[in-house]
This record gives sequence, C-alpha cells and structure tokens, in this order.
Amino acid sequence: MTPAATPFQLPQRLPQRHATTESPFVRRGLIGIALVFLGLFLVVPLVSVFVQAFSKGIAFYIHTLGDPNAWSAIKLTLLAAGISVPLNCVFGVAAAWVIAKFDFRGKNVLLTLIDLPFSVSPVISGMIYVLVFGAQGWLGHYRDAEHAWFPWLQSWINDHNIKIIFAVPGIVLATIFVTFPFVARELIPLMQAQGRSEEEAARVLGASGWQTFWRVTVPNIKWGLLYGVILCNARAMGEFGAVSVVSGKIRGETNTLPLHIEALYDDYNFAGAFAMASLLAFLALVTLGLKTWVEHKNAASNDKGEKL
Amino acid sequence: MSVEVINVTKKFGHFTALDSVSLKVESGELVALLGPSGSGKTTLLRTIAGLEFPDPGAARVLFYGEDVTQTPASERKAGFAFQHYALFRHMTVFENIAFGLRVRPKTTRPPEEEIRARVQKLLKLIQLEPMAGRYPSQLSGGQRQRVALARALAVEPKVLLLDEPFGALDAKVRKELRRWLRQLHDEIHVTTLFVTHDQEEALEVSDRVAILRAGRIEQIGTPEEIYDRPASPFVYDFLGNVNLFSGRVRDGSMLIGGTEFALSEKTNEAKSAAVAFVRPHDIRVTRASTGPALPALVIRSNAAGPVATLELKRLDGGDDFVVQLSREQFQELRPKPGEQVFVELKNVKVFADDYSI
Repeated sequence: MTPAATPFQLPQRLPQRHATTESPFVRRGLIGIALVFLGLFLVVPLVSVFVQAFSKGIAFYIHTLGDPNAWSAIKLTLLAAGISVPLNCVFGVAAAWVIAKFDFRGKNVLLTLIDLPFSVSPVISGMIYVLVFGAQGWLGHYRDAEHAWFPWLQSWINDHNIKIIFAVPGIVLATIFVTFPFVARELIPLMQAQGRSEEEAARVLGASGWQTFWRVTVPNIKWGLLYGVILCNARAMGEFGAVSVVSGKIRGETNTLPLHIEALYDDYNFAGAFAMASLLAFLALVTLGLKTWVEHKNAASNDKGEKL
Repeated sequence: MSVEVINVTKKFGHFTALDSVSLKVESGELVALLGPSGSGKTTLLRTIAGLEFPDPGAARVLFYGEDVTQTPASERKAGFAFQHYALFRHMTVFENIAFGLRVRPKTTRPPEEEIRARVQKLLKLIQLEPMAGRYPSQLSGGQRQRVALARALAVEPKVLLLDEPFGALDAKVRKELRRWLRQLHDEIHVTTLFVTHDQEEALEVSDRVAILRAGRIEQIGTPEEIYDRPASPFVYDFLGNVNLFSGRVRDGSMLIGGTEFALSEKTNEAKSAAVAFVRPHDIRVTRASTGPALPALVIRSNAAGPVATLELKRLDGGDDFVVQLSREQFQELRPKPGEQVFVELKNVKVFADDYSI
C-alpha cells in the first residue's frame, strides 16, 4: 500500500473516558439518590433538632440547660467519659501493642473478646452488670455468702457500703464496657502494618523498653490513637442502652445526658428534650470535624512513612 | 576473636532455622553470610544482635570473650542495619543518627555539642550532609541505607550487623554502594557481618564468606578458597553457573563420552557413574580439536555485554551446556548456530559425595 492511497485524516479527538465510567444519566441518577437519602435521613433530622430546641425561644433554651437536673446530667456524662476514655486509651494501646508486636497462644481469642462489646446489644451489656453487682447478683448485698462467687469481694463491697447498680460506679463500668473496643480496634491494624522493625532498631541502639515506647511507638501511632479517642469519647457521651439499665434514672443523681433527654421527652417537654439533644448533636458535629481533621493528618503521616 | 557463636540452635515451631551453628569472626573482619532464603542467615545475624535468642542448650554468643548469650539487645552494643532500613519515619536524618546517643542514660550520654559533632562527622562519612533536615521518606533507597548505616555506627558498635544491606536497591546503586561499604570498612575497621543471597556481592566485598544451607554452615573461607575449592556440590552450584557432565572416574581422570579430561583435584577412587562440574568460563571452544575434546553443536550465541555466551549441545547425545567467552575470543571464533565445534574442559571437579544439587 502506497502512502498516497490513504487520504489524510485528522486524528479524531475522543473525550477522555475511563473504563469504569458510567453514562451521565446513570451518574447523575446515583448522585441524586444519594443526596436525597442523605437529606431525608440525616440533614432534616439534624436541622429539626436545632429548630425544635429553639422553638420556645432562647430564654427557654438557656433555662433548660441551666436546670440543676440538666446540669447534673451533663456533669455525670462528662465524668463517665472522663474516666472511661483514659482507661480505654491505656487498655487499647496495651492490647494493640500485645497483639501487633508479639506472638502468643490465644491471640485470636483476645481479638474476638475485644470485639465483644461491638457484637452484643448495649442493653445486654447493662444487664451483665446488674447480674453481677445487682442486689440479687453474684456480688450483691442480698446474696448469701455461700453462693457468692467471690465472697471476699462481696464482703469488701458490703463492708465499704459501695453501691454500684443504680449509682455512678455502675454507669462508669457500663460505659467502659461499651466503649472499650474503639481505641484497640483503631490501633491494631495500624500497628500490625508498621511491624516491629523500628522498635527492634531502637532496642539495638540501646533504648530501653520505655524509651522505645515513648520515642518510637507513640509518635508513629499518635494520629490513629487520637482518632480512636475521639470515637471512644463520642460513644461514651452518647451511650444510652447499657447506661439506661444500670442507672436507675434518678433525676439529678444518676441520669446522664441521653437519659435526661428521654426523661424530658417522657414529660412531654419536647422543646426541653430537644434543647438537651442539641448539645449531643453539637458534640456529634464537633466529633465529625475533628475526625475529618485527624483522618487528613493521619493520611499525611502515613504518606510520609509509606515509602519506607 | 571479636564475635564468636558456639552451638547455636534455633527452632521456630517445627522449622529448624539454625542447627548447632558455630562461627568465629576475627576483629576487624568483614564476613558475608551467604545462602538461599530459609537457610538461617538472617536468624544467625539476629541472634548475634540479641533480637532472637538461641534455644536453651549449649548455645553461647561471645563478644570479645564476654558471654552475651542472655544479654538483651539494648545492652549488647551491636550496630544493626535492617533490610528495609527501619528508619524512624517521624525523625529527620539528623535525629535518626543521633537516636542511639540520645537514649543513653544521663551518666554516659555525651553533651549536646558532642552529639552534634558526632552526627555531623557521620553525615560527612555517608556524604549526606545537605540532607540532615530531611525525613526518611524524602530520600532515595540508597540514601536511606547509608543513613541506616550511620545510625548503627553512631553508637560505636563492637560489631556491625547488616541484613541484606543492598537487597532492596536496584542493580546499579547496589554495585556502587557495596564498593562504598568496602571502602568504609577499610577506613573504620569495625568487625562486620553481613547477610546476602547474592554470591557476587559476597565474593566481591568480604574478607571471608560463610555459606549456609538449611541452618548449617556448609563452608567458610576466603572468596578465592570457596570459589576455587568448594566443599560440596551445593557450594559449587550456589557460587555461580555450572555445567554438569556425566561419565566415569578412572585412574585419576574423568572419562566423558570416551574422552579423558584431567580432574582439578586428583582422586584415586574409581567411580563407574560420576558427575563432573565445569564452570562456563572453564570451557575452551575450538574449530579443530588439538587435544582431548568433545564435539558439540552450537545452538545459540549471545555477544551482548562484557562476556559472550554460547549454548552448545553435545554431539554424542549428552545434555546442553553453556560456555562463556571473552569478547576477543568470540570475535575470533564467530560461531554460527548449527555449526560443529570442539570443547576442551578445564578445572573439572568431581565431588566424593553423590551429586545432589
């Protein structure tokens, strides 16, 4: 074939297309469905919380938040979160460290146990504590010493007149139980991916175990840890089911923020309930904002380490 | 004697990584641990560093005569460079190198100015002074490996242990870096053990090479010793390409296809079935036979690169084999595929034990 036989042709310009791109109709349709769904089920309820909260005016809003019972609920929620988050932070780091950096028998059992609070209904989590610490429970006041599981623990609790169920300790215990997978679950895959070689390098260079932990391990996991803490905190403040079982719902004493909202709602004080709910909704928005920021930071620091 | 390992056995479950290994390394020596993957070379290195502990028994690890078998890694004063560098990703190059000095207890920690001076000196040694403020992710593979070496050297180790130091680098950087390592060793004379699976690297860089196989040291010696006098078919095969010719041993020479060739090491033992080992560069190819030679057919030739390669087939029905020629020899001969030639075998090696590559 001679060159003259082919007529000169302009190269055809095709719009850039990827193999996985759908037609514009399908794309817009899918995005539309997602947006409508999001609006209906997330945005509208969220907006309505704030609208309802201020439905009786700002004065009523402030009055509701200033109520002593409301104030006590806020304080109790902060206390429960303030105890359970640091404890689960320590536990989570320890568990993730052990699982990611060492091989031992029963590792999978430990992994499964860590997930238990995720897989069991919060109500049952609460029931567990009632069964153990309740008046008729294994360690309860009215259990005869012969049938008690740990008689010494039972007598210690009775002697010191420590009340667990329908009191603050029970609420804290239930919150710890429900939130304990968050930090560990966040750190385990991260620490597994990072491996042990940096720690080994630190040890060979003469660092003690403690120095290795603070100078090498913690800086490498700090963003993952913060992410876990944020999620753990959000859940600790918002927990309803487990706390509801153990709290006894004594207003001004054992009501947490979510329980106080329920109480106001049951009193047909809708504006009051939503005013309190707006606090939790606000917390959720702050959590989301923080979460996005940490994810961004985490991705950036992972990029830094990726090529190692 | 700077580093001595005696009777070290290490099992992982049912897998025996080290099988009563003993090794002595002289002060200032550069020794390569060479072996295929799974031969236990990295486990041996990690045992010396204190990152693995030998199975209980008669095992002992000595540093300058001092028993460190149960000493934790942090107190052994060994320098270790990891295969994937294991640089601290959140620290700059400077801080990575300074780490070993900064974690010392207050009583033995050098003052800040001295730490700075020592890190600067090491940065100069590894030729990375302008990179002091960079993070590991901003360096190339070769630069990272040099930082890892400097970090290990900063603590003035009694012994330097390198795990596949050039394993993750591309071929060109590897060659540069291993020459640099040899020069560095000649400058600072720190006792060094390094693990590699690349026989060329081991032979080029080290004073002595230990060849490992299935958790045992198969042979140890200078590169010349082990290349010229391999102790087993495994060592022979592992150190380079090999051609096998089956035949018989009689009166101290090898009989292959009716032609007699001299053996590199005389043996009086007669064998009715033996396998001769011949390196591709120990075969001379001619058009007309002048001495004992085998007739062969040229199958393929390739003259690209510093040496030319010929693939030949024995005319008497034996196996294919490979010959390496210098470029001059190749230009002289100009063999064409399908052509008949004669081959003379030199340095024919027969092993006492049965062939088991």
